[in-house]
Amino acid sequence: MIVVAGAVLAGILPLVTESNYFIGIGVSACIFTVAAVALNLVYGFTGLLSFAQLGFWGIGGYATSLTVMTFGGNFWMGLVWAAVINAAVALAVGYPTLRTNRHAFVIVTLAFALLVTLIARDWVDLTRGPLGIPGLPAPSLFGFAFRTTASFYYIAWAFAVLAIGFLYALCSSRIGRTLIAIKQNEPLVRAQGISPMPYKLAAFAIGAAVTGMAGGIYAFHLKIIDPLFLDFYYMQAFLIMVIIGGAGSFWGVVAAGIVMSALPEVLRFSNELRMIIYGVILLVAMLAMPDGVAGWMRERKLMRMRAALR
Amino acid sequence: MDARAEADADAGGTAVSAVLEVRDLHKAYAGVRAVDGVSFDVQAGSITGLIGPNGSGKSTTIDGISGFQPLDSGTVRLGGADITGMASHRIARAGLMRTFQTVRVYERLSLRENLMIAAQQFDAAGWIDELLRTKRYRGAIAAGEARARELTRMIGLMKYWEAPTGILSYGQKKLVALAAALMPKPRIVVLDEPVAGVNPTRIREVEEVLQTLNAAGETFLIVEHNVEFITTLCHHVIVLDQGRKLSEGSAEAIHADARVLEAYLGVAPELEEAEA
Ligand SMILES: Nc1ncnc2c1ncn2[C@@H]1O[C@H](COP(=O)(O)OP(=O)(O)O)[C@@H](O)[C@H]1O
Ligand SMILES: [Mg+2]
Repeated sequence: MIVVAGAVLAGILPLVTESNYFIGIGVSACIFTVAAVALNLVYGFTGLLSFAQLGFWGIGGYATSLTVMTFGGNFWMGLVWAAVINAAVALAVGYPTLRTNRHAFVIVTLAFALLVTLIARDWVDLTRGPLGIPGLPAPSLFGFAFRTTASFYYIAWAFAVLAIGFLYALCSSRIGRTLIAIKQNEPLVRAQGISPMPYKLAAFAIGAAVTGMAGGIYAFHLKIIDPLFLDFYYMQAFLIMVIIGGAGSFWGVVAAGIVMSALPEVLRFSNELRMIIYGVILLVAMLAMPDGVAGWMRERKLMRMRAALR
Repeated sequence: MDARAEADADAGGTAVSAVLEVRDLHKAYAGVRAVDGVSFDVQAGSITGLIGPNGSGKSTTIDGISGFQPLDSGTVRLGGADITGMASHRIARAGLMRTFQTVRVYERLSLRENLMIAAQQFDAAGWIDELLRTKRYRGAIAAGEARARELTRMIGLMKYWEAPTGILSYGQKKLVALAAALMPKPRIVVLDEPVAGVNPTRIREVEEVLQTLNAAGETFLIVEHNVEFITTLCHHVIVLDQGRKLSEGSAEAIHADARVLEAYLGVAPELEEAEA
C-alpha cells in the first residue's frame, strides 16, 4: 500500500514542481535507488560484496551511448544492449570467480571495475578516451522526444517502478529466500540439496543487467559520457545506500536510496561543509545502527519477541 | 526393537536391504589418518549408531559419505547407486540428508522458513513456477507447510513457528536442524551428535521423536558421544577408534561391552564438546 502510494506520488513529481533542479534530483533518485537495490540483491541478499557494480554501471552507460552515437541504434536498443552485454560479462567474470572464496571475489570485482575504467580512458578508438562522448540526444518513443527534464523524469520513474517491481518479485520469492540462506549458511544450503552456484551467478548477472540499464539512462540524463562516469563516487553512493538501508532489507534500501539521493542536495550550502556533514550523518548512523535502519528495527522486534516467548 | 534390522545386521551386513553401503573409506589430513579403512552398512529402516571417542573419525566419516570432505579412497553406495565423490548437494538430492556437529540453522529466518528451504529442492516447482506463483508452486508450498507443521509439533517448538531461529537455545536449534533434515522424507538421515549440548531432560524427547519417525519407516545413522543414548536407541552399533572400526554389533552386545569399551576407549557420556 505505502509502496504503491509512494510510487504514484513519485510519478506526479513533475506536476508539483516546475523546477528542473528538483526534477533532476528526482531522476537521480530513481536511477541511484535502482542501482542500490541491484547491489542489495548481490551483496545484501547473496552476501557477495561486489565492486563490479561500478564496472557494470560504466559498461551500461557506454553501451547505450555507443549504440546511439556509433552504431546507429536508438536509446531503447542501447538499454537492451546494456543489459545483455552486462549479463554476459557478469556470467563470464562470475563463473570462475564465484568458485573462489568471498575475499578473492571482492578483489576480483574491484580489479574488474578498475579495468573498465582503464578501457573507458584508453581505448580511444571506441570510447574517445578522456574527451568522452558529448551531445547524447534525447530519447524518443513513437515520435515523442523526451527533451525536457520533466519528460525524461518519466523514463527514469517508469524504469524504477519496473526494475524495483521485478527485483521485489525475485527477492520475495523462494529464490530470494534461498539467496539469504546461501549468505547465512552455505554448507547447510548444500546439505539440503541446493547448489549455490546457479543462484549466485543469477543474482550477479541480474544485478549487472539492471545496473547497466540504470547507467545507460543516467548517461542520457547527463547527456555526456566520459571516464568520470566511472568515478568511485557512484560505487560509494550505492554501497552507502545499501548499508544505511540495511543489507538484505528490500524496502529499507529503497527508502535509503531515495533519501540518500536527496540528502547531499538538501545540504547544499557549502560544498566542503556539505560533504563533512554528510559524512558525520553517515558515521553516526552506522555506529548507532550497524545493520542499517532495517537491521535496527529488526533487532527491536527480536527483543520484543524474545521477551514475549520466554 | 526392530527384529528385521537385527536379523539383517546379524547376517553380516551384505543384505540387499542396506540403504547405505560404506566400503574401505580412507581420509588423511596432512598425515593424520582421520579415517583409515572403515566399512559398514546401514540397513533400511534401522537406527544405526556410530560411536567412538573424540577424534576417532566419526565426523570425518560422515563428511566423506555426504560429500563434504573429499575422500582419499573407498566407495559409498546409497540405495545401490554409487555416490562416491559426488557433490554434496547431489548426494542430498539422491536422498541422504545430514545435520552438523556444530549446529547449523538459518538464524535470521523463521523456523517455518528454515524448514521450507530444506524441502524446496525436492518438490516439482521450478524457478518459473516461483516467479509466476503457479498452481504447482502453491501446491508445493501447501504440502511443504503441512510437513513442516507436523515436524514442528513433533519437536515441540510450535510456538516458535514464525520466530527467527536465532532466538532459540542451542538445544532447540539442534531440534530444528533435525526437523529440517527430515523435511523431504529422505532415504536416510545422518545425524552428527544430535543431543550434544541438549538439556539432559530433553534428550528423552529427542529419543521419542527419533523412535516415532523410525517406526514410520525413516532410516537413521547417528553419530553420538552419549553411549547411553546410542544403546537405548540403536539397533546396530559401530564403534570407531583412531579411524578404524573397532567392533560392530547389536546394541545389546555393545552395551554389554560398554564397560570394557569405556575402560579401553575412555568413552564417557560427555554432553558438551567444543569442536569445529
Ligand atoms: N579439517 C581438518 N583438518 C585437519 N585435521 C582434521 C580435520 N578434521 C578432523 N581432523 C582430525 O581428524 C581426526 C578425526 O576427527 P573427527 O572426524 O572430527 O573425529 P570425531 O568426529 O570422531 O570426534 C582428529 O584427529 C582430528 O583432529
Ligand atoms: Mg565429531
